[in-house]
Amino acid sequence: MSDVQLTNIHKSFGITRIVKGVDLHVRSGEFLVMVGPSGCGKTTLLRLISGLESPDIGDVHMGGVRVTDTPPRDRDVAMVFQSYALYPHMTVRENLAFGLELRKLPRKEIQTRVEEAAGQLELAHLLDRKPKQLSGGQRQRVAMGRALVRRPRVFLFDEPLSNLDTALRVQMRGELARLHRKLGATMVYVTHDQVEAMTLATRVAVFNGGKLQQVGSPLELYNAPTNQFVATFLGSPSMNFLAARRESGTLSGPGFSLPCGVDLGEVKDVKVGLRPQDLRVQGDGEFSGTVEAVERLGSDGYAFLQTAAGPLVSRFDRGTNVQVGDNVKVCLLSNALHVFSADGEAAILHPGDERPRVEVPA
Amino acid sequence: MNAARTGALALLLVAGAAAAAPPLRLWHAYRGAEEAALEQAVKRFTEESGTQVELLALPYDAFASKLASAIPHGVGPDVFLYAHEKLRSFREKGLLARADSRLVAADYLPNALPALQLDGATWGYPLSLKCLALYYDRDRVPSPPATTDEWLLQLEQLSRPEDGQFGLAYEAGDFYFHAPFLFGFGGTLFDGAGHARFTGKPMEDSLAFVLGLHRRGYLPEEASGALVKSLFNAQRVAMVISGPWFAGEISPEMNWGIAPLPSVSSTGLPLAPFLGVEAAFVSSRTQQAEGAQSLAHFLSVGDGAYLRATAGKQVPADTASHRTDAVKRDVFISRFKDAALHAVPMPHDLELQKMWEPMKLALRGLLQGGTTPEAAGALADRRYRALHRPAPPDAPVMPWLWGAAVLGLAAAGWAFSTRSREPFRKRYPEAWRGLAYVAPAAVGVVVLILVPFSVGIGLSLFHHEPSGAYRFVGLSNFTDILQSRGYAITEPLSFYFTLFVTVAWAAINVVLHVGIGLLLALVLKDPLLRLRGLYRVLLILPWAIPNYITALMWKGLFHRQFGAINALLVAVGVEPVSWFTRFSTAFAANVVTNTWLGFPFMMVVSLGALQSIPQDLYEAAEVDGASKWVQFRRITLPLLRPALLPSVILGSVWTFNMFNIIYLVSGGEPGGATDILVSEAYRWAFQRNEQYGFAAAYSVLIFAVLWLYTTATKRLTATEAA
Repeated sequence: MSDVQLTNIHKSFGITRIVKGVDLHVRSGEFLVMVGPSGCGKTTLLRLISGLESPDIGDVHMGGVRVTDTPPRDRDVAMVFQSYALYPHMTVRENLAFGLELRKLPRKEIQTRVEEAAGQLELAHLLDRKPKQLSGGQRQRVAMGRALVRRPRVFLFDEPLSNLDTALRVQMRGELARLHRKLGATMVYVTHDQVEAMTLATRVAVFNGGKLQQVGSPLELYNAPTNQFVATFLGSPSMNFLAARRESGTLSGPGFSLPCGVDLGEVKDVKVGLRPQDLRVQGDGEFSGTVEAVERLGSDGYAFLQTAAGPLVSRFDRGTNVQVGDNVKVCLLSNALHVFSADGEAAILHPGDERPRVEVPA
Repeated sequence: MNAARTGALALLLVAGAAAAAPPLRLWHAYRGAEEAALEQAVKRFTEESGTQVELLALPYDAFASKLASAIPHGVGPDVFLYAHEKLRSFREKGLLARADSRLVAADYLPNALPALQLDGATWGYPLSLKCLALYYDRDRVPSPPATTDEWLLQLEQLSRPEDGQFGLAYEAGDFYFHAPFLFGFGGTLFDGAGHARFTGKPMEDSLAFVLGLHRRGYLPEEASGALVKSLFNAQRVAMVISGPWFAGEISPEMNWGIAPLPSVSSTGLPLAPFLGVEAAFVSSRTQQAEGAQSLAHFLSVGDGAYLRATAGKQVPADTASHRTDAVKRDVFISRFKDAALHAVPMPHDLELQKMWEPMKLALRGLLQGGTTPEAAGALADRRYRALHRPAPPDAPVMPWLWGAAVLGLAAAGWAFSTRSREPFRKRYPEAWRGLAYVAPAAVGVVVLILVPFSVGIGLSLFHHEPSGAYRFVGLSNFTDILQSRGYAITEPLSFYFTLFVTVAWAAINVVLHVGIGLLLALVLKDPLLRLRGLYRVLLILPWAIPNYITALMWKGLFHRQFGAINALLVAVGVEPVSWFTRFSTAFAANVVTNTWLGFPFMMVVSLGALQSIPQDLYEAAEVDGASKWVQFRRITLPLLRPALLPSVILGSVWTFNMFNIIYLVSGGEPGGATDILVSEAYRWAFQRNEQYGFAAAYSVLIFAVLWLYTTATKRLTATEAA
């Protein structure tokens, strides 16, 4: 068993409270991605798992054993650092073998593992170079290899791809996913890039302000975000939010009125959440506004509008001609309405729900 | 009309300028009251003779060499004041004119003139006398001793070494202070052939007598001038042997007296100190012989002498001023005159110069090293023979000149054959501008490095006679050094022994500097350490203090009797250590001092290098399973290497040539064993009869050793960089 259980973790640096009470269970063999804006505590949590930091309050368990006070070297974890932290005075081979030597593995075994990892990561021809003779992508692979050869219970990744260019990042993302499938090891991955989160994760944990907002599979989070923050954070472009007032079966705001098939109870003021992907620029629709900017992604794209209710981003399809300055209409695809409480703290309704998730008083 | 008047005026001015002779130039090294008295005397001379005198006070240390270089070039003084001990050297360099008929022997105290006589002539006008006498504390010594038997009785009562009370203090390790005992026991300086003499019964008796004083606890140990002064002023010694200069150092509260040194009971001879005669010498190159002779004579007798005695507190050499009431009433002057009457004029023979170091060795060995009087004399004799090797034979110059010429031609030929076909102007279009930028630094390099370096190498091929002559001897200096002629390889004076000591010195120091510096840097690196800035400043402080001050402080701390280190050892129940009498402890004292001075530099370098190692490497290693020790060994040390290696090379070269510490702390004690190559070279040049060529050969060898070392380490750094 190589699951990780974080229980009621609190951590401060000086007077700055970074982590404010987090409970999180990383299941054995899953690829958990922790996302959130900078300063949300995700990296600190990763370091708490590695043992490089210890919590002020709370406990860390690995495989059911309490490891809160265990030093990193006894936790059987491997970590890939954002800066890679390769030992500059050692060759690639020595970098890879270092952790194994320290664990007193037989020479033969070390050699086998190093060569295997080098083969996997296409490092075989670089083994006798020093890190400064490598490109950024190669260094990144060495950093991965150093974790790989260790065959630890838990892999920890601290924004490992953030220093690579886009093409390499896409490639390495694929590598990582493949690796996880192959090894089936528990991996905890910190990033602020939601694309990485969505593409790599078995489950995603979203943090904000030192607190866990929501944890779940990428689609769960995308389809049913627990609050406005999670809804904003996942999906690109971000979800649109418009203040609305409920009157019987409709939600209306300045210049728009949307039917809502579910009885939301007594609540009066809400926010409607509309994914740009669920909106279309068309000849007719619930919203109308002026195009302020256009993002074309090839044939289709997104139009950034100013409407009476506020700014709104909407997708347009191939063949639709949208120009800046146009007055256009936008319609909402059916069954795509998210409703949040007026303060954004709670999700009331997601598409497909048959009754409100929470009762919000009027 | 007007024009004629102006012309006449101009003529008058020119005539006046021609009539007034330039002022006489008088050089001296007096300070304070002595200088003021001299000024008064000179003013009186000008009033009486109408001759102007221009006074110039020079620093004492540079005085003799200044005279030797200025007078032959005609830019020196007309008259200069100096002690008679340099008479022979001055005479051989041709600096002196004879004193003329003005000098009347009867005008002076009987033993003043013999000091100034050489080759059947008198070469100066004696001004004042200096010798050793016995200062005593009147509160505890009612009457000064007349004989050594009385003296010993008094000393027995006055000394309680366990309470830090001593009967007598003087600089017992210095032959100048030991000479009275040698003469008192009937000894002489030279044997029949005029060579220095260190053995024989009088020498042994005198050494045994002093050893007795020491053994019975009458004397404080390792007494320096400063220690003698402070002990006397603290009323911890009752008697002091010192010269006139000591009077100015006694605190005003003391009730003190002066007496001549007692006589030796067994021989009936007085303890006769060396007599130093300060004299006015007339320069051989003076343009105004008449005026110069009359000035020198004026200063030595009559008003000149009287003023120097009353205002300058000098003990005048003329008889007339001692008959004046003012001088008679001055107990200080009259007692020193009495002491001077017994004194032995210090020979100006060069042979005496050769006695200082061997005798110092003998006295230190006797008083600190447990050597017997017989062995001490023999030790001095051996050292004397080692230091004063016979001059090597002259080498033919021509082969060397031919060799140099052939080499020069070969170099020129090589330069010509490898010259570029392209014209210089085309290759370096901005050569002049570039040269202008480089010129200031190039001049510095030439003047400060290339010229002294070439002169040093040239000098190593010569033998320098104390008379000032250089003789070409080829490689003799080198062969003498490398063959270790005159002493075994394992003896302190041998080049190999000194080289070994030097290498050990450099290696041990560098290891300690780096070790301690690195350790402290590791502690200071921790950003959570409280008061980190304060510690850092405190730890850099030893480096910021001039190193000779630190060296003197440590020298004091290591003092056998009064040093803080022995006090601490005693406090924890350890026997006090006589640091400078054994090689191991003297060496350790040097190392401790230099480590104190050297670790801050390595600490600063290490701290900088440590802070440039990214923290995440340690985190990666930590996760990889490295303990703190493994992190230090596998991460910190390898990453420090590139930054530390140049500092280590630099530091070892500095330490290799660290003259100050050796010279000031152990001073080469015991017996030159802790001398390193540079301090040894210094001694050959400046303390052993000006063997400049020999010293230069040492320097060339030092250069060769360091050159080999840096070449080797350059390879090391080159592989490091690759």
